[in-house]
Amino acid sequence: MSSEPIERRVSYIGDRLRGSRCGICSKEYFRSKDYCGKCGRKSFGKMEDIDFFYEKGTLEVCTLVNRPTNRFTKFGPYIYGIVAFHNGKIRVPCRLTDLILNNKEIEFSSLEGRNVVPRFRRRYAVKQSEIIPTISLAFTFADEYYPHQKYEVTKPKKEYETPGIVGYGVYVSKFRIKERAMERSIPFMDEDAITAAVEAGKMALIHSGIDSSLVGKVYVGSESNPYAVKPIASKVAQVLKLGEEEKIDGLQGVDAVDTEFACKAATSMFKDATSLVYYPGVSTTYAMVIGTDNSQAAPREEPGGELDLFVGYGGSAFIFGMQDIIAEVEGWYSCTSDTPDFWRRALEPYPRHGGRFTGEPAYFKHVVKACRKLMAKLNLQPSDVNYFISHQPNVGFPIKVAKELGFKEEQYMLGLKVSKFGNTYSGASPIGLAAVLDKAKSNERIILVSYGSGAGSDAYSLITTSQVEEKKGRQKFTVQHQIENEHIEFVDYNTYRKFKLGL
Amino acid sequence: MGHRCPAIIGVGRTRFGEHYEKAPEKMVEEAGLTALDSAGIERKNLDACYFSDYFLQITNKIGIEEGFLSELLELHVHMEKMRSFSSALLNACFAVQSGRHDLVLVGGVEKMTDRWDKIRDDLMLLEDPWSYYAGCTPEANHELMLREYVRKHKISGESLNKFYIALAQISVKNHYHAMNNEYAQFQREVSVDKVLKERSKARKPLGLYDFAPISDGSAALILASPKMAKAHADSPIHIVGYCAATDYVTFPSRENRTGFIANKIAMENALKMSKIKVSDIQLAELYDQSTLLEMIALEDLGFSKKGKAWLDIYNSCKDYKGFYEVDGKKLFVNTNGGLKADGNPLGATGGAQIFEIVKQLKGEAGDRQVNADETPQHGCVLELEGFGTKAYVHILSRG
Repeated sequence: MSSEPIERRVSYIGDRLRGSRCGICSKEYFRSKDYCGKCGRKSFGKMEDIDFFYEKGTLEVCTLVNRPTNRFTKFGPYIYGIVAFHNGKIRVPCRLTDLILNNKEIEFSSLEGRNVVPRFRRRYAVKQSEIIPTISLAFTFADEYYPHQKYEVTKPKKEYETPGIVGYGVYVSKFRIKERAMERSIPFMDEDAITAAVEAGKMALIHSGIDSSLVGKVYVGSESNPYAVKPIASKVAQVLKLGEEEKIDGLQGVDAVDTEFACKAATSMFKDATSLVYYPGVSTTYAMVIGTDNSQAAPREEPGGELDLFVGYGGSAFIFGMQDIIAEVEGWYSCTSDTPDFWRRALEPYPRHGGRFTGEPAYFKHVVKACRKLMAKLNLQPSDVNYFISHQPNVGFPIKVAKELGFKEEQYMLGLKVSKFGNTYSGASPIGLAAVLDKAKSNERIILVSYGSGAGSDAYSLITTSQVEEKKGRQKFTVQHQIENEHIEFVDYNTYRKFKLGL
Repeated sequence: MGHRCPAIIGVGRTRFGEHYEKAPEKMVEEAGLTALDSAGIERKNLDACYFSDYFLQITNKIGIEEGFLSELLELHVHMEKMRSFSSALLNACFAVQSGRHDLVLVGGVEKMTDRWDKIRDDLMLLEDPWSYYAGCTPEANHELMLREYVRKHKISGESLNKFYIALAQISVKNHYHAMNNEYAQFQREVSVDKVLKERSKARKPLGLYDFAPISDGSAALILASPKMAKAHADSPIHIVGYCAATDYVTFPSRENRTGFIANKIAMENALKMSKIKVSDIQLAELYDQSTLLEMIALEDLGFSKKGKAWLDIYNSCKDYKGFYEVDGKKLFVNTNGGLKADGNPLGATGGAQIFEIVKQLKGEAGDRQVNADETPQHGCVLELEGFGTKAYVHILSRG
């Protein structure tokens, strides 16, 4: 049994951790209130909206739950407690997430008093047919993998003539599996393509410092949306408060849409976002493009199981606009052919690989064609390019294609992250782009070529501005951080399959 | 004072435990008939019925409980359903004291084992939905309160050991009392070691033997106006004080999380109404949903000083004589075995608590009759709904 109205109300409050503050006595409440309990009717109309989505709290007290209620059983043992925000002005119940406890001895007092940050996660397990419940009453320690970062809106300094990337964010989970030479990211039990999309979008807002209400459109590209029908983008828009908030109606003045084209579902929309913010007469100040996937693969002994050695989990978000851009979009070229190299029929849980088309003529033909055409169009030689990033389903393909296109190791290695995260499908080449932007200096040219099975490629040329360096300090959760952080946790194959399946 | 108050002229109850073979109505019938019998009145003389169950609607999909009661009793009088026995009794007291009714049947029932597999989710959702959404369990808040209590009162080292043993002793003591209670769910002894072992097995501050069980059961009583009490009973037990208080449903939002403000308010007002002092009370049935809550209640109700109840318990239980020694006075607590050993069928629990005080005050408690210097004059009952969200206090007096 799941009730849409109850789900809607709980998610509306719980996803963003909405509350109120009394304008008279400044008492705070978790969950919105129209008047203050202390000040009574005179506070009516004087209550301010607050939320704790970007806040840092303190875990005041906690205990072990090793006999959960039915809906939490799949989590196994976990830590439950109370988190205080604003020096105890508000307290909320909390589940610590991203912890594998097993039979580990836990000293509660070593956890109490530590700072925690809310994470947007699935709330608990429900039947396959039901609405997926979410909540941000899940927390991780602020001094571990996921740092606390304030979201500070800064006034734009400069208007550019060419549209481009204003800010970006990457979200890769803290859990990994290491097999052969490859490390791959895997979701915790309560994560999926939806939660990664929201986290990545949150990171992009933090990095760009733009006012989220000025985002006019959000695209979410994915092939692992846990819903066949129901967009991820609507969740992103509501939780991140994209577009003008119409509070009375509980809606956001933003266009939100999901796209699907295997691993190029997101990159395909870069040009749409670019064009949209450039379109005269209609003021779409910013557009956000998210690529997110809990990349699907059948268990390795089953048909389609060869993917099980390569799939990752994560998301990336890019915000496009005309102000304070860090990289101008110089040009693009896309090509498409009806090549059935990889597919997933409706109601099938896992995609299949024919095997026949995978490399040639699928990946290589499209990537090479798109890249060469774009470079010809812009009259570019490989030496004019500082960084080359291509779709990365494995380590071999992107290196082979880079060499074929005449690029050298120093041009393609920085953006090649598949050996650290696995193939994050829609997020794969964009995460490579983020890794490059994390390190790029001003006035450098980046070529990005995605590939989506089915099949097609999008090639982009980007030129960084001086602001790429200026904005660097705003993001602690860099790609490098997500590769090197000491709190990354490696798990075995069975845990990986269990986590991937999720709640 | 007593002669102007509502009086209990008959009580009845079932054994608590698992009664899978009995429908809820069957259990109500058993308790109700005993109560009517012991009061010596006919059901047709009843003016009203106040009835309680916490969540029969969920466990047994029974909607209008009053209708079932009407069929059982073949009566068409005013009937009302509340959530807890104490709530039903409180409302019955209001009705009797206002002069509207003279004879009221108060009854309660719960059939928790009929929904064994989902009961903990139901309990937690009803107790506090937002905590449930974050992963809370029926036990977790007790453990958080325990940790906050220990921190607030700076209990550490040897004291902390004693504190944990004191909580275990509560369970041991309640099981010991239940040995002489033929209605109790668990008529067997437990040891401090066993309580501690269960805690270490659970790797938590509280374990299996710290928590009240899931139970089925029913309880009933006949409440009479002073005039009717005189006519029907030689020694009615008067309810000289009664009050309820309420607190936030969300535990983390409460200002004080080392006790229940509702307990305190309800007790203060009940005492005020009864015109007796807390030190006049020698008998108490406290709501030990966990061992911690019995300890907390001793403080909230004013028997023990804040932060010191565990010490009172520890000192009394080293060589347990059947009562706590608080401020040099004897205090008999949960002589029926408490919720821990007697059982905790939510809607009927308060009925068993009242049953016990009535029996003790009348000197009819048999083998578990308290060994006071003289038969106690007053007894009090604390019942809760949720985790301290509602507190009900009834003060009962003899004569």
